[in-house]
Amino acid sequence: MPYRTVTATHRLATVLAALGGSLLLVFLAAPLAQLVGSSGVSGLARLGVDAELRSALGLTAVTATAATLLGIAGGTPIAYLLDRRDLHGKSILAALLDLPLLVPHPVAGIALLLVLGRQSAVGGALLSAGLRVVGSPFGIVCAMLFVSSPLYVSAAREAFGRVDTRFESVARTLGDTPWRAFRRVTLPLSLRGLIAAAVVMWARAVSEFGAIVILTYNPKVASVLSYDRFTSFGLSEALPVAAVLVLLAFLPLLALRALRAERGAGVTA
Amino acid sequence: MIEARALGARVGGFALADVSFTVPRGGYGVVIGPAGSGKTTLLETIAGITPMTSGTLTLDGQDAKGLAPEQRRVGFVYQHGYLFPHLSVEENVAYGAPDAAAALVIARRIGAAELFGRAVRGLSGGERQLVAISRALATRPTVLLLDEPFSALDPRRRSIVRGEVRTLHRELGLTVLQVTHDFAEAGLLGDVAILLDRGRVLQSGPPEVVFQKPATPYVAEFLGAENVFAGEVRVLPELPPDWLPGESGELTHENKAIEFRTGRMTIYTVGDGVPGPAHAIIRAGEVVLSHDPALSSARNRFVGKVSEIATLGALTRVTLDVGGTPLVASLTTRSARDLGIRAGDQMWASFKAMAVHLC
Repeated sequence: MPYRTVTATHRLATVLAALGGSLLLVFLAAPLAQLVGSSGVSGLARLGVDAELRSALGLTAVTATAATLLGIAGGTPIAYLLDRRDLHGKSILAALLDLPLLVPHPVAGIALLLVLGRQSAVGGALLSAGLRVVGSPFGIVCAMLFVSSPLYVSAAREAFGRVDTRFESVARTLGDTPWRAFRRVTLPLSLRGLIAAAVVMWARAVSEFGAIVILTYNPKVASVLSYDRFTSFGLSEALPVAAVLVLLAFLPLLALRALRAERGAGVTA
Repeated sequence: MIEARALGARVGGFALADVSFTVPRGGYGVVIGPAGSGKTTLLETIAGITPMTSGTLTLDGQDAKGLAPEQRRVGFVYQHGYLFPHLSVEENVAYGAPDAAAALVIARRIGAAELFGRAVRGLSGGERQLVAISRALATRPTVLLLDEPFSALDPRRRSIVRGEVRTLHRELGLTVLQVTHDFAEAGLLGDVAILLDRGRVLQSGPPEVVFQKPATPYVAEFLGAENVFAGEVRVLPELPPDWLPGESGELTHENKAIEFRTGRMTIYTVGDGVPGPAHAIIRAGEVVLSHDPALSSARNRFVGKVSEIATLGALTRVTLDVGGTPLVASLTTRSARDLGIRAGDQMWASFKAMAVHLC
């Protein structure tokens, strides 16, 4: 092919790629920018006077944090085993863990209701033990845990995968038991990745709506409150709440950027 | 002591199989082999990092099967060091040491103490290896496994550290097994050389035996033997009449006079060879070149034409075409210059009967 034709094709491809990328960027950014631009200030101002909004934000933060802590406690060993061990049925286990990410979230809520509802064996047992799932903060935590913990497991597995197993091997030859080698070597070396995984899970938990609304409409988390304001009072009342949620979403985003900037390209010899 | 008997291990699709050798207590073993031959896997199996699937492994008289790596008292130094990047150099050296003072003593001996206070990420490859060696020795192991530990060191530092490790090995009574691809290093350090290929031991024994008497032509070629000839062995029923008096002493009742034919060359040697197809190996350094046949008293003398001259620093390799069979001689570049060797020259190559190894 003549050089001139190659150059022309290259230019055309570059223009098309730039156009496609720009359109997607505008598509993603425009609604959020419009939302924050039109109602960001009033939303922040609303924080001072709207007790229900403050309460919803507080409940969201507390339940998302509780769900994340539970996800860390259960997900870290699973992520480690998936990365480090040749388990039978490892791919099936990994697929099962990804499944909640693919299920529509209201469906996830219905599934949880089946297992944890008053009529279910588990839900009934929990209720008799004084722990109500449906219509309680605990229900919110369960919904958040279900939809967001797979993200933690996946990212934590990646974090462990970035640490060469030979670091552990060396620690073992230097006298460490497997647990001690994990605590002294693997955990510190993967810590930033694990924190990043936890931030991703927390952010996903905060933004959850579909599963929560099935299990616990009241007390309201922020996402349910914005929906409630929209359906009860219209767009004008929903906008400030929605704008505050978008602004708060920047916090985990900034934390992630900072962690990734420091994390570098993996931990090898 | 490291004693492996029919040792087997598996990592993914690679298998270490039927590996047997012994490095005596306080001995220095050297593992040689091409890339992918299983050298590192062998060390990892001995360390307990890779589980053994068959055979037996004894470390200092104790059956190592079922012993976790931390119970084996084995120090391991990987080629790339694997220093813990979240710890300082000092903390790395002291990681498994009984106390900080012991770590400091070893670090001073190896030359890593001067790196204390530096960040691990800022160390060069050679410096990392110094720290890794110190870290392994600071735990006072009884067995030290070294995976090409000197490869990133500059020649001067390599010589110093190699000497220091050898001294520590003697002082502490360590049993050492080291992987290297450097044949000179294997000869310098090793009491036992283990040649590994595709997960199997091809030959093991004292380095001089492995190098001078390779068990197979493959071993010979791998170890850099320049002249490996395929041919036919014929045992001479009696000493040939022209056998030189100077070599007759070698012919004891265990040794037989042997004639080996390859191409147009007939090579004479002594040994316990069996009649039939075999290979003859002659190190290039054993082949002497001259313009005058009368200058040599060696049993094997051939005339040929110089087909190639390759100068490699202080050494020169000269290839002689002997009736279509290439015969390589290695001599100092100065000798080559004094002889005035030029391509196309007719020259005489000679080597003693005892320089020929049959396998």
